[in-house]
Amino acid sequence: MTGWDAQRRHAFQLGLAPALLVLALITIAPAIYLVLTSLTPLNLTLPESAWDFSTPLANYSDLLDDPRFSRSAWVQAKLSMATVIAQLLIGLGVALLLNGGGKVRQFARSGFLIPMVLPPIVVGLLWRVMYAVDISPFHRLMEFIGLPVGSLITNPNLALTAIVIAETWEWFPFTMLMVLAALQMVPAAPIEAARIDGANDWQMFRYVIFPYIQQTLVVAGIFRLIDSIKAFPLIFVLTDGGPGDVTQVTNYYAYRQAFTFSLWGYGSAIATLMVVGIFVLSWAIDRLTGTPRAGAR
Amino acid sequence: MAASRSRVGWFTRHRNRVGDGFTIVLLLVVLFPFGWLVQMSFRPNADIFGYDLLFNPTFAHYKALWAGAFPASFVNSIITSVASTVLALVLGVPASYALSRGAFRSSRGIALWILATRMAPPIAFTIPFFLAYRFLGLSDTLIGLIIVYLTFNLALVIWMMQPYFDSVPRELEEAAWIDGCGVWEAFWRVTLPLSAPGLAATAVICFILSWNDFFYALVLTRTNASTAPVAIVNFIQYTGWEWGRIAAAGTMVMLPVVLFSMLVRNYLVRGLAAGGVKE
Amino acid sequence: MRTPHLNLTRRGLVRAGTGSLLVPFSLASGKAPAQGGRKPFDGVTLNISCWSATYPTLLGQYLPEFTERTGIKVNYDTPGFPVYNQRADLELSTKGSGYDVLNVTFIFTSRWIGAGWMTPLDGFLNDPNKTPADWDAADLLAGSVAPMRDKKGAIYGIPWISDVLMAASSRFDLLKAEGLGMPDTFDELDRAMALINKKDNVAAYIVENHWGWTFIPFLQGFGGSIFRNAPDDLMPTLNTPEVAQAAEFFAKLVNSYGPQAAAGYTYDQVNEAMRAGRTNYSPMNHAFAALLGAEGSKVTATSNFSMLPKGPKGRFPGVASHGWGIPIGAKNKDASWEFIKWSMSKELVGRMVERHGLGSVTRTSLLNSPAYKGRMVINGVDTGKMFLDSIALSETGYMKYRTVHVYPQVNAQINQAISSVVSGQMKAKEAFALAQANAIADLKRAGVRL
Repeated sequence: MTGWDAQRRHAFQLGLAPALLVLALITIAPAIYLVLTSLTPLNLTLPESAWDFSTPLANYSDLLDDPRFSRSAWVQAKLSMATVIAQLLIGLGVALLLNGGGKVRQFARSGFLIPMVLPPIVVGLLWRVMYAVDISPFHRLMEFIGLPVGSLITNPNLALTAIVIAETWEWFPFTMLMVLAALQMVPAAPIEAARIDGANDWQMFRYVIFPYIQQTLVVAGIFRLIDSIKAFPLIFVLTDGGPGDVTQVTNYYAYRQAFTFSLWGYGSAIATLMVVGIFVLSWAIDRLTGTPRAGAR
Repeated sequence: MAASRSRVGWFTRHRNRVGDGFTIVLLLVVLFPFGWLVQMSFRPNADIFGYDLLFNPTFAHYKALWAGAFPASFVNSIITSVASTVLALVLGVPASYALSRGAFRSSRGIALWILATRMAPPIAFTIPFFLAYRFLGLSDTLIGLIIVYLTFNLALVIWMMQPYFDSVPRELEEAAWIDGCGVWEAFWRVTLPLSAPGLAATAVICFILSWNDFFYALVLTRTNASTAPVAIVNFIQYTGWEWGRIAAAGTMVMLPVVLFSMLVRNYLVRGLAAGGVKE
Repeated sequence: MRTPHLNLTRRGLVRAGTGSLLVPFSLASGKAPAQGGRKPFDGVTLNISCWSATYPTLLGQYLPEFTERTGIKVNYDTPGFPVYNQRADLELSTKGSGYDVLNVTFIFTSRWIGAGWMTPLDGFLNDPNKTPADWDAADLLAGSVAPMRDKKGAIYGIPWISDVLMAASSRFDLLKAEGLGMPDTFDELDRAMALINKKDNVAAYIVENHWGWTFIPFLQGFGGSIFRNAPDDLMPTLNTPEVAQAAEFFAKLVNSYGPQAAAGYTYDQVNEAMRAGRTNYSPMNHAFAALLGAEGSKVTATSNFSMLPKGPKGRFPGVASHGWGIPIGAKNKDASWEFIKWSMSKELVGRMVERHGLGSVTRTSLLNSPAYKGRMVINGVDTGKMFLDSIALSETGYMKYRTVHVYPQVNAQINQAISSVVSGQMKAKEAFALAQANAIADLKRAGVRL
C-alpha cells in the first residue's frame, strides 16, 4: 500500500508544482523586484540609477517627509471609511428588502448586480456623464426643481463625495450579496419564536437577525476596505486626482510618481508601503474581530 | 377576526406589495445611470443630450465604432480574456485538486499566499512588470497581458475550485483507484465531471475579471495590444468628446460581462470574496 | 482618428492575435500584397501619435493621400495634450516600437533627446536619396529647429509649429460698445473684463486649464520667474511675492469673469466656446485663435486679436515649438521618415494654409507667402504680424525655463498650485509655497543638484 501512497503523493506534487512555480514567478519575483527598486533612485533617463544602492532608504525617508504622501493617505482614509460604511449600510438595507419576498424581488436581485459586474471603466464613464453639468440628467433635474447644483467633480469640497457616491453605487451589490447569503442561513426557529412573542421589525432585526449576520458584515467590510484602497478607474476618469490633490489617494499618487513622472524608485517605495500597510491592516482587523482564518475548515 | 384585522394597518397588510413596489422603484433608480448610457448610444448625435424618451434610434455610432480601430481592441480583449482563463484553468485546476486531496502540510501557507495575492494592490505588480517587460520586449504584447492576468486568475481558480473538489466524495475516487486508474485518470473521469458547474462558474468569473481589467492594460499596452476598456479611454481623451461613440463603446464592452454575470450570479460572491464566506 | 480599414482577414486576425511578435516580422520582411506593389512601402503600417493641435488634427484628413502615394497605412491617434505626453513619455522610456513617429513636445525636448530616446535625423536630411534637395530643410525657421537639437547640434525633430500665446476676443463688438479697445496691460484687462462680463449672456473670460502654459506670461509679467537662472541655476523660485500676486490676479480673472466650471475647460473646450461666441476673451495659442476666422466659426465678423497684455514688468507671450520625431525603437525608420517628409512638405502645408487657414507654420517661405499673410488677416486684424512680433520678443530668452529637462515636473506643480488657488482651496501664498517645496523635492529626486 505504501507504494501506492508514494505514487499518489508524487502525482499530487506533480499537479501542484507547475501552478506553484508560475505563481512564484509572477508574484514573488515581482515583489522582490519591487522592493529592490524601491531602494534605488531609478529614473529611466539615467539607466545607471537602476543599480544605485548607495542610499537605500532615501526614498523611504523622503516619503516620511513628503506632505503629498501623508495627504494622500488621509484622502484614502476618508474615502475608504465613507465608502465602506455606505456600502455596508446600503447593501444591508437592500439585502433585507430582498430577503424572502416573492418573484419580483428574486428577479430584482439580478438587476441589482449590474453595477458590480460592469467594467469599472464603464462605471467611470457613466458617472462622468452624470457629473457633467451641461449634459447630466441629474443636474438638469436639480435645476428644474429650483435647486441648481454646481459641478461636483471640479469642486474641491465635493469631489471626494462625488467619488464616494460613484464607488458606493458600484460596489454595494457585493455586500448585498454577502448579506443575502448570510440571511438565508439564519435559522427559522428564533425568528418564529420572536414573531410569536410579538417582536416588531426593529427588535427582530436587532436581537434576532443581526447576531447571525454580524460576522458576514465584518468580513464584507474587510474586503470592501481592501478593495477601496485599489480604487483607480473612477479617479482616473472622473477627477484625475484633482482638483488640486483632493481626490489623490495613495494608489493614485504612486501611479503618478511612477507612470507620469517616471520616478520608479519613489513609486516602488510607495507601492511597497501600501502592500505592507494592507497586510498589517487586515492582520489587525483579523485579530480584533477573531474572524475564522481562511483555509481553516 | 374583523376586529383584529382592522387594528392591523394598511401598510402591514400590504407590506409585501409595498415592498415589491419599493424594490422596483429602487431598482430603476439604481440602474438609471446605466440605462442612460445605453440609450445615449442609440441617440443621433444632434440630440445626444436630449431628454425626450421618444427619439429615432440610430446605429450610426456602432457603425462608426466598427469602422475605426475599436474592433481590433475588442478582439484583443477576447483573446487575452479567453487565453488567460484557459491558462489559469490548465495550471490551477490540477493544483487545486492536489491541494484538496493531497493533505500537504503547507496548504495553509499556500492558502494565505493566495489570499495575499488577492489583496495586494495592482500597482505593486504593474511597476515591476512594466520594468521587466521593458527588458524582455513584452511591452505592448498580448502575451504580456496574459501573463499578468495570471496573477489574479490563477489564485482565483485554485481558491474557487477547492471547495468543489472537497465536496466530491472520496469513495468515488477510491473506487476508481481500486479499479486500476491512476490518480489523474480518476480525476479526469470521476471528479471533474462532478465539479463541472463549479468549473464553468470559475471560468466565467476569470473571464469577467480579465475582461474588466483596466489598470494593467492601460500601463502595459500602447497600440498593438490595447484592450477594449483602454480603447474607450482614448475616445474620452480626444477632442470633440464623441459621446455617442463613447456610449456605444461602453455598451459594447459591458455587454459580454453583464450577460455572463447573469449566468453565474449564484457563484459571484464566492469568486469575488475569495474566501471568508461560510459555505 | 484612424483611417477606416476593417482588417478581418486571417492575416489581420493573426496579427492582432500574436501582438507585436508578428508585426515587426512582417514589417522587416516588407511582405507586399500580390497586386501591383510598385509603391516602395507597400504593406507597411505606421503607428503615429501627436497631441490634438490644429495641424495634427487637420493632417488626419490628408492621410489617405499619403497611403495612396506611398502604400503606407497609418494608425493615427491624437489624444489631448496631457494624455499624449504621459503616454509618449512612458512609451519612449521603454525604447519600444509601439510608435513609429511621435510628436516631440516642447517641454519634453530636453528630456527625450537628452536620454537618447529619439533618432537623430541628420542622416535622413543629408542623404539626397532619402530627402530630395527641393524639400528644402533650410527653409525651416532656425528658432523652431533650435529646441529640437541636442547639445552638439544634431537634429532630432522636424518642427511643425512654433506657437505663440496671444489674446483673442470673439465678441469685440461688446468691448467696443463700452468704448474699449483690446486691453494692452493687466489693469486694462481687469477693467475690461469687469465691464463686459455677462453682457449679452457672454462670459467675459476663459482660459484653458493647462495653467503651466497659460499662467506663465502673468507670472513673468508681474516680475516672477520659474527658476533662478535657467538653464544654469535650476533653483525654483515659485514662492516669491510676485508669483503669488500673479496667481491671485489670474484666479480672479478665471473665477470672476469666467463661465460656470471655467476651471475645467481644456483647450478644445475653449476653442468650441470661443468659436460659438459663448465666451469673449481668451489668451489662446495663435493656431487656435486662427480658428475664430476659419470655417465653422460663428464669430468671424466680431473677432479681434492682440498680443498678450503686458504686466508691470513687461510682455512675455509664451512661445513653444513641437516637432515630429522618430522613436529610437521604431522598426522602419525609413517609412517613418517618409511620413515626416510628406507631412512637412511645402506643398502640403501650403495647401493647409490656403484651404484651412492653418496658422502654425514653420517654413519661412510659407510665412512670407501672400496666401499665408492673407489668411492671417482675420476681420482686418493682422494676426500674422502679432505672431512674428511675439516670436521676436521671445528671442530675449524668457522661454529658456521651458526647455529645462526637469521642467515637466515643475509644470505639474504649477498646474496643481493654480488649481488649488482657482478652486479656492488654498491662498496663493500657501499654494505656491507648497509648489516650491514639492518642486525642490521632485528636482532632487530627478537627480538635479540645487
